[in-house]
Amino acid sequence: MGSEAALRPIIEARAVGKRFGSFQALREVSATFLEGQVTAIVGPSGSGKSTFLRTLNRLEAHDSGEIVIDGIVLSDDIRNLNAIRREVGMVFQSFNLFSHLTVLRNLTLAPMRVRRMAKAAAEEKAMNLLERVGLKTQASKYPVQLSGGQQQRVAIARALAMDPKVLLFDEPTSALDPEMVNEVLAVMRELAYSGITMLVVTHEMGFAREVADRVIFFDEGVILEDTTPEGFFSNPGHERAKSFLSQVRHGF
Amino acid sequence: MNWTRLHPGWAMFAAMIGLLLFLWGMALPLAAMPAPIGPAAEQFAEGARITVGLTLIAGSAGVLIGVLAGLGKLSRFGPLRWLCDSYVWLIRGTPLLLQILFVWLALPTIMPEGVELSDFTCAAIALSLNVGAYNTECVRAGILAVPHGQIEAARALGLTPLQTFIDVILPQSMRVALPALANNLASLVKDSSLAYAISVVELTMVGYRVQAESYQPIPVFVTIAAIYLILTTAFTTLTAALEAQLDVGQKR
Repeated sequence: MGSEAALRPIIEARAVGKRFGSFQALREVSATFLEGQVTAIVGPSGSGKSTFLRTLNRLEAHDSGEIVIDGIVLSDDIRNLNAIRREVGMVFQSFNLFSHLTVLRNLTLAPMRVRRMAKAAAEEKAMNLLERVGLKTQASKYPVQLSGGQQQRVAIARALAMDPKVLLFDEPTSALDPEMVNEVLAVMRELAYSGITMLVVTHEMGFAREVADRVIFFDEGVILEDTTPEGFFSNPGHERAKSFLSQVRHGF
Repeated sequence: MNWTRLHPGWAMFAAMIGLLLFLWGMALPLAAMPAPIGPAAEQFAEGARITVGLTLIAGSAGVLIGVLAGLGKLSRFGPLRWLCDSYVWLIRGTPLLLQILFVWLALPTIMPEGVELSDFTCAAIALSLNVGAYNTECVRAGILAVPHGQIEAARALGLTPLQTFIDVILPQSMRVALPALANNLASLVKDSSLAYAISVVELTMVGYRVQAESYQPIPVFVTIAAIYLILTTAFTTLTAALEAQLDVGQKR
């Protein structure tokens, strides 16, 4: 897939550092992500992979280094930040759907407020997206009335409603019951083939192997491996990655 | 109560119409009663209208003050936080009667020449400031109860901080704060009786005058109590219906 897409860098992280108190979460992390690329970010918990993802739309501010998204340098400048957040969608581990709004309003809120879309147009678009994730009949329900898998599919549709260039997934299936994981992965798989740039922090090694163009392995705040899925799963270069794989591999 | 939960819109409508009919229609049945009630029917009705007027003005201003000061207490700007803290500390730490007397007697001496405050205005100002301080704490608790993920989701979608507050934080925090705010409103209906001290002819003052003329305190004060009960019932029905209205999408 990567070879078919225009190989234009859309995210560039240069020597990004982040600390929480005395804990160094990220140490000089550098990586470039190309348009249309699907990257799986894996690693043990506490390795910095989620923190890295969250610095990319400044839900966490990085302390050092530089992040450039689609040509815009990420900083505290609120106008830059709003411009970047319009282009970078995010799907959270705990869905974070707006609990006081219906499914439909969850999808139309940001397009109407941020993109100034007319209500009718926003709703039409929302219904199309809900159809795409298989939840057209649930539009008038509230999030609490849906299962976890359905909520996460709505959350993906909500992020797509802003037409982002990049979608960040922060462990999108980790909070789900096992039987709901596949319905979410199916939606993500369909998205991956549609050509959108995706960065997916995940523990789903099967998904990483099958769908991703690239696998990044984090450990103790640094990128230890940055390679293809085949390279990572069949022949990891570091001992740390080998032991991680033997720990998570039991399932397949 | 159950009916209120099931049909919040109708319950609100019914409570408001009922309140209006009561305020402007109560003189009719009261006039048919024997002395000392009958001859003073119009006074009772006028007193009830003053009480409701004070409650509605101070109640609305109090919610506005509560939201602003509640936000101020959570501000990152130190002086603003200190100002709001001091306001709540001052109002909660002194008697309401003293606050009413202060506004009535002390405020005119520091006001610019030519600005005249009526007794009713003084009472409304003091009651607004008083209920506002108690509302501040309710609103602050409500805002703190909004899960952080909701705010992250809104910001990640590109909503500005103001849009995030208006579309996500405020509606969700009100759902939490409303029962406590309703409590304060019910107290306010009765606290407004302290305005009698600065010669506002509200319901309690009417009762005091009528019994002083007729030397029949029992029927007079029973009537006054009944009118207060009807007023507080109307207000609590109104707030319970509002609560049911805002409760959508909540787990039960």
